[in-house]
This record gives sequence, structure tokens and C-alpha cells, in this order.
Amino acid sequence: MIVPYTYRDTLLKIDHLSLEYNGRQILRDVCAEIKDVYIPGRVTGQIIALLGPSGRGKTQLFRRMAGLDRPTSGQVLIADQKGFHPVRTGEVGVVAQSYPLFAHRTIMGNLMLAALAHEPDAKIAKATVVAGLENFKLEDKADLYPCQLSGGQRQRVAILQMLICREPFILLDEPFASLDMINIEVACETISHAANLNEINTFIITTHDVSAAVAIADHIWCLGFERDLNGNPISGARIVETYDLLARGLCYEPGIITSDKAMSTIREIKERFRTL
Amino acid sequence: MKHFFTPNAILDKKSVQILVWGQIILAILIWTFSPSPLLPKPGEVLSAFTDLWEQGLGAELITSFVLNVEAVVLATLISLLLAYATVMPFFRPIVALFSKLRFLSLVGLTFVFTLIATSGHELKLSLLVFSVSVFFLTSMSDVLMTIPKEQFDLARTLHMNEWRVTWEVVILGQFDKVFDVIRGNAAMSWMMLSMVEGIVRSEGGVGTVLMDQNHHFRLAAVFAIQITILLLGIAQDIAIGMMKRFSCPYAFLTVEAR
Repeated sequence: MIVPYTYRDTLLKIDHLSLEYNGRQILRDVCAEIKDVYIPGRVTGQIIALLGPSGRGKTQLFRRMAGLDRPTSGQVLIADQKGFHPVRTGEVGVVAQSYPLFAHRTIMGNLMLAALAHEPDAKIAKATVVAGLENFKLEDKADLYPCQLSGGQRQRVAILQMLICREPFILLDEPFASLDMINIEVACETISHAANLNEINTFIITTHDVSAAVAIADHIWCLGFERDLNGNPISGARIVETYDLLARGLCYEPGIITSDKAMSTIREIKERFRTL
Repeated sequence: MKHFFTPNAILDKKSVQILVWGQIILAILIWTFSPSPLLPKPGEVLSAFTDLWEQGLGAELITSFVLNVEAVVLATLISLLLAYATVMPFFRPIVALFSKLRFLSLVGLTFVFTLIATSGHELKLSLLVFSVSVFFLTSMSDVLMTIPKEQFDLARTLHMNEWRVTWEVVILGQFDKVFDVIRGNAAMSWMMLSMVEGIVRSEGGVGTVLMDQNHHFRLAAVFAIQITILLLGIAQDIAIGMMKRFSCPYAFLTVEAR
């Protein structure tokens, strides 16, 4: 059964983005759009998985989407009340692959940095952090330092830090890398939980784990090389394929990931993945 | 016993004590029974130390210790300020040039500093501060150059402006490493101190005494002074280590206890 949904406003746009580095084309004319998914009677954020084999420029695209580095041409646009504006550094939250946190601050200290970025009143900021820690089941970790946490706990703190920073857009670089099967499920739950806290929350995940991408995302973008007539790859990766998992009825249904249609989608994407 | 020679072996407290005391005793035995006529025996060194102490070695040690602390504190402040200034491109060439001055000889610089300084103490202090700073700056610049990019990204993602990024990532984030650099340079400062006190003898100090004893070839006295400096240096090293442990407890959480 397909959950009834509609697309509302465009939240983020990648507009003809290209990147060259030392004369090498890394990304070529990348275009994509993220729209607000609306499902009557429930709060739904958006989760987009950016799939692609290693060396296709996922991290490079990710850094341009976060406004951390500039593309050679094109831009990433964020919706605002007047239309769109180019992404600014700090406007898109980033959770890097190693879940970086400040080693010299406790978990509470790290999260307070995020809370105080928007809330000058330290008492209110602390209340926000405490509520966040409870929501993410990390309340007993407040006084520990980042190196005292497990990988999964660090990931949750890093996501929470970005949410507390009130970023509706959060990029996660390879959140499933080096996690075992059970921890991938936990990470998926954490990300879904965080994305669905607000209607415009939008998580963009770079990964090469097709099964996890199908389990968590509502859209999948495949980053890879186009081929010329002889089948040779054309330099500069693009989004060569997109999968709308909402339209396929693979979202918001408990246990849907074990269904035949989910398995068949995973197989289809894996086949496509080989030619990216 | 076999763990003493196993790579990366972690010893319990008792084994560490056995190892350390064993090596100390072995060193003393080798020293005591050494056939070298040039090497003074422990008894001779102890007797030379007693004589030196009676002649005022304690006061000379205090003079040197105070000078060393002054030099290390000043050199640390100057070097940190210069190292942190490298976040601004304007200061990078200046700081790079300053750190290259470590290749200059201290003896060659004495004349220049003599023209600037107004007293013997000031001359010694400026020579020491200069020679420690150029090395301190080199080490500290290396620390700052190797900060992972993702730390800067994280700070910027948290809406910090570049001054705040500098405070959080460059200053607070690397504070634990400052102690390691101080530790290394404070030891080097002791090494240079005896040289500086040998060149500028106006205020005395342990370096002056050492040069005098060396000049008269009193090896037992030279050994006594060297061992005293060594023990003082070890105490200083422990004190800096304790300051690091107190100020930056997080720095010890991921270190393998060997």
C-alpha cells in the first residue's frame, strides 16, 4: 500500500554545479532538487541517499552542498521566504564520517556550543540540550568526553548537535561505514527519528550501502559517470539516476524493507550501482 | 620477565617498579665499578656535591631556576602569540622567518643582545628567551599546521565566525599540546641556561659554577652539578606533566598506559 503523499515547496536545489580540481573534472553539471514531502496527519522530514561507488565525488558534492567549499561553477540554493539564496557556510549541518566533536569539551560542552549559537540565554540553551540528550537516550553521557563514547553514541551526539543548532538541512557522510548490521539499524532509526522531528528537516546521506539507503531514504540519487557511445566513462560525475521510493511505496510502512518489492528495488539499484 | 622484551607490552605497576629500580641499581653498579680513571666514583661526586653546597650551590641553583622559569614563561607567551598569529596570512612569512633563526649560533648573537640589554640579568634572559622561542615556535607551528580540517568544518558548521573558530579549534583545541611543547623546550632551556650563564657571568648561577669547575677539570664537581640539574629538570618535567593532567584530563583518556 502506498502512503498518500504530496510534494510541496522546493527546499534545496543543486543548480548546474560543476567542479574541477587541478584540471580534472570531478563533478559535471549536477542538478537536483529536494521538495518537502507532505503526508496528511503526520510530520515527515525528507531523507535523500546519495549513492555512488568510491571516487565519484560524493564527499566533494557534499562539501559544496554544505557551503564549506565553492564549486567551479553552478550553485546550491536554499529556499527562504523571498525565494532562494546560495548556501552559506554554517547553514547546512554536517556530520562527517568520523563524527567529529571537540575533544576538549564534554558532551554537554559540545552540545552547549550548538545551543548557544542561537540562544543567548544559557539556562534555556541548557534546557534544550538536556531535552535533546533525553530524546536521544544519551542523558547519562553528558559529563563524558567524546573519546569515552562508542561510535554509535558519537554519531547520535553529532546528529543531535546539528539538530540543536537548528539546522533543517543535515548532511551525513557515510553514516553506515564501519558499522555492523545491528548498529546500521540503530543508525537508521536515529536518522529517521531525527528527520521526522520537523516537517522541513532534510537529511542527505552519502553512502554506498544500497540496503541501508533503501531502508531509510525516500529518494535515492545515484552519482556516477555517464558513458559515451563506446561505453567509456565521461569524466565528471553527475546524478545519473534517481529513485523515488515514496512512489514505489517503500516508505513509512513498518517492515516494508523485508517485502519483495523492497528486495527487488535493492537488486535493481545494485545492478545500476555496478555501472556507475 | 619475558614481557620486558615483548613489543608494546603493558606492565603492571609492580613490574614497572622492578624494571625502573633494577635499571637504576644497574647504572649505579656500572658507574661504581667502572675501570675508567676519568669517571669519578659516586663517593667522590657526593663529597664534591657537599663541598659545592657549602660554597653556595643552593643559591646559585635558585638564581638559575628563577632565570629559567622567567625565560620559559616569557618564551611561551611570545611563541604562543606568534604561533596563534599565523591564522592571519600577514604574520605567516614573519613567523616562518623567526622560526628559521633557530639555526643561528647563540655565541654570535651575544654581541647584538649586549647592545640592547641594560643589565646582565636582562642579557641572559633575552638570550634565553630568544633561543627557546625560535624552537618553541617551530614546534607549536607544526602542532597548528596539523589540525584536521574537519575540526575547522565542525566549528564553521556551528555558526562560529573565524575569530571564534580560532579560539575553539586553534587555541582551546590544541591547549593540551602546548604542555608537551613547553615540556620539551623547558628542558632545552636548562641546556642553554648553563651556556648563557657561562657567557654572561655577572649574576652567577649554576652555569657559571659548572664552567668554573670544568675549567679546573674538577670532574667530580662537574658530575655533581650535572646530576643536580638533571634531578631539578626531572622535577620540572613532572610538574609540567601534572599541570597538563589537571588542565586537560581528556588528553589522557585515549593514551595506552605503558
